[in-house]
Amino acid sequence: MIRSRLLAVVVRAAVALGLTAAALGATAGPAAAAPQPMGRCTTTSGVVLAVDFSDWGGPIYRSCGTTPTTGYELLNQGGWRTTGTGHDGPAFICRIGYSGYKNGKQYPTPAQDDCVLTPPASAYWSYWHADPGDNDWKYSQLGAMLYKPKPGSVDLWTFGGTNIEGTEGRPTVTPDQLRAHNTRPQGDVGKPPSSDKASALPPDVDTGPAPEQRTSEPPTSAAPEPKKPKPSKSAHRKPTPTPSPAAGATANPSAVAAPSSGTKVVDAAPAADARHDSGSIVPVVTGAALVLAIGGAAAFVARRRRRTE
Amino acid sequence: MTAVARTTVEASAVPSAPSRDRGGRRLPRILHPVAWWVWALALATAVSRTNNPLLLFLVLAVLGYVVTARRTEAPWARGFKYYLYLALTVVAIRVVFRAVFATGTTPRDHFLFSLPHIPTPDWYAGIQIGGPVSLEAVLSAATDGLRLACMLCCIGAANTLANPKRALRVLPGALYELGVAVTVAISVAPQLVQSVQRVARARKLRAGRTQGLKALRGIVVPVLEDALERSLRLAAAMDSRGYGRAGTATRRSRRATGALMLLGMCGLCTGAYGLLDATAPTFLGLPAMGLGTALCVAGLRLGGRRITRTTYRPDPWRLPEWAVAGSGVVSAVLLFSNLGYDPAQLNPTFYPLTWPDLPLVPTAAILLAGTAGFLAPPPSPVQRADAP
Repeated sequence: MIRSRLLAVVVRAAVALGLTAAALGATAGPAAAAPQPMGRCTTTSGVVLAVDFSDWGGPIYRSCGTTPTTGYELLNQGGWRTTGTGHDGPAFICRIGYSGYKNGKQYPTPAQDDCVLTPPASAYWSYWHADPGDNDWKYSQLGAMLYKPKPGSVDLWTFGGTNIEGTEGRPTVTPDQLRAHNTRPQGDVGKPPSSDKASALPPDVDTGPAPEQRTSEPPTSAAPEPKKPKPSKSAHRKPTPTPSPAAGATANPSAVAAPSSGTKVVDAAPAADARHDSGSIVPVVTGAALVLAIGGAAAFVARRRRRTE
Repeated sequence: MTAVARTTVEASAVPSAPSRDRGGRRLPRILHPVAWWVWALALATAVSRTNNPLLLFLVLAVLGYVVTARRTEAPWARGFKYYLYLALTVVAIRVVFRAVFATGTTPRDHFLFSLPHIPTPDWYAGIQIGGPVSLEAVLSAATDGLRLACMLCCIGAANTLANPKRALRVLPGALYELGVAVTVAISVAPQLVQSVQRVARARKLRAGRTQGLKALRGIVVPVLEDALERSLRLAAAMDSRGYGRAGTATRRSRRATGALMLLGMCGLCTGAYGLLDATAPTFLGLPAMGLGTALCVAGLRLGGRRITRTTYRPDPWRLPEWAVAGSGVVSAVLLFSNLGYDPAQLNPTFYPLTWPDLPLVPTAAILLAGTAGFLAPPPSPVQRADAP
């Protein structure tokens, strides 16, 4: 009697769990984003991700991802990995690592920041956007998991401190030094272009959904919006040839001359994730044994005290 | 209470229990309350450094052992389990908040269950309510809560082990007025419990009804009266020893004391802000802190100069006090020194799921703090007295 009731409860729970799992799979499926070689990003498709490691003597890495995507996914594909804080979870980007730089070691290192609480405003990864054709950095108003970059835009992560007035901690490079300048995808002709949805459009239509309208539709649907002076501006810019894009065509990292600042800009090819070691269970068993031993001693003392009273 | 009572209890207890229970035939006595407070606060400081669940559970076990081995039979010494309940509540609240105010799941997370998602408008996009909950989120929230819970339990252990009324004696003279109020306040709860027990026993002896609403009236009035009377008695006892007395201070010196204390406190606040905020100018940090401390000390000196008080049964500070306080401080220093271990081992991450490590030096440091269970002298065996 009791056993059958128990069984029913267990079955019901399992069904509920399965249903919720199915529901999650159906609704919260992540946008199909994929890492691309740098040459696949053009002025109108794909998103350029740039991460500035100059605080640790490294270059500025840039890589390319497809849209639609989120800032977080862009930063967690093709060998990129992030770590959140213990307090806020993975949504707060506390460390960034790339498997092609120092074997995927993530920065800042645990000695510099323990990533338990929110990092101080004087030393954290700040998140900057530059929309297509825009040559000014905008501080991100949304977190990495909520922000959806526009096709042809640039995302930059730079480490340091910022102040409320916005005068400190601005990136030292300009968006033009990082963005893709080719109008057509280069390299890997066999593959489809980096953003198959966006490529169906004529090249000089600005398709980006504003980051505020958090829609999961492909960016094509937002195209007919009769908006903004931006398309003309970006159309104006696009034909201007720049010497850099050829460097991005090759898959292996290659330096691009960065005229104004001392840091190098290096293309980061999509790489395999850094190997993850899930550790051994021995420390856990040892710790549990220690805790049990001390707890046993406490129980022994408690019993003895009760007897003597 | 008296020496006679103690020896008789001792004599009757010795044949039944071997002498090892007395901590190697040491004379039972009460450890200086400040030693317990230093030990517990140092351990709490050490806990604040780590997020490693293994180390946190070890701290809890050590606290449990020391409290069990060295608590007295006084009313405030029975409260450790309530601190454990509070700790459990803290962990539960942390996990629930993390699950409800979702912080985002990544595609790599292990999905546990899903809460109904409440959509928020765009201008409120930073906060998500409900949604999928992952194993990683639950684990890291539980560890985060466990750290706070451990710190609470450290304070709870100090409250359990140290006599709060005796701790008051260490307060500087100028703070006695505050101290009297605090002592009366913290002794009210245990005294209420005791009063309830006494009144209930008396009613039972008189064959009165001990249950129901009618009995409640018969209990509440005597209990309140009893508790109030005891508090007044305590206040009178403290007053007779010079606590809370204004002394012969003149109006001017009292004003000077007040001004010094106020300025000193402002300095301390500014210093704390300067130290904690990395972007603040440097003169706000240690200099302001030092100035504030100096002003406070001067104010306390000036205020306490004219107040005299007498001490009945002074608490000695001997070797066990040094040992207990030292074991706590050394463990805190070891956990902050980064010697012989990787600081990353103190704060393991659950993204991606990884077994936490058990670094040797921090483990040894926490076990060292646990030696307070042997280093402290054993408490007096049976002392059902409720007097301060």
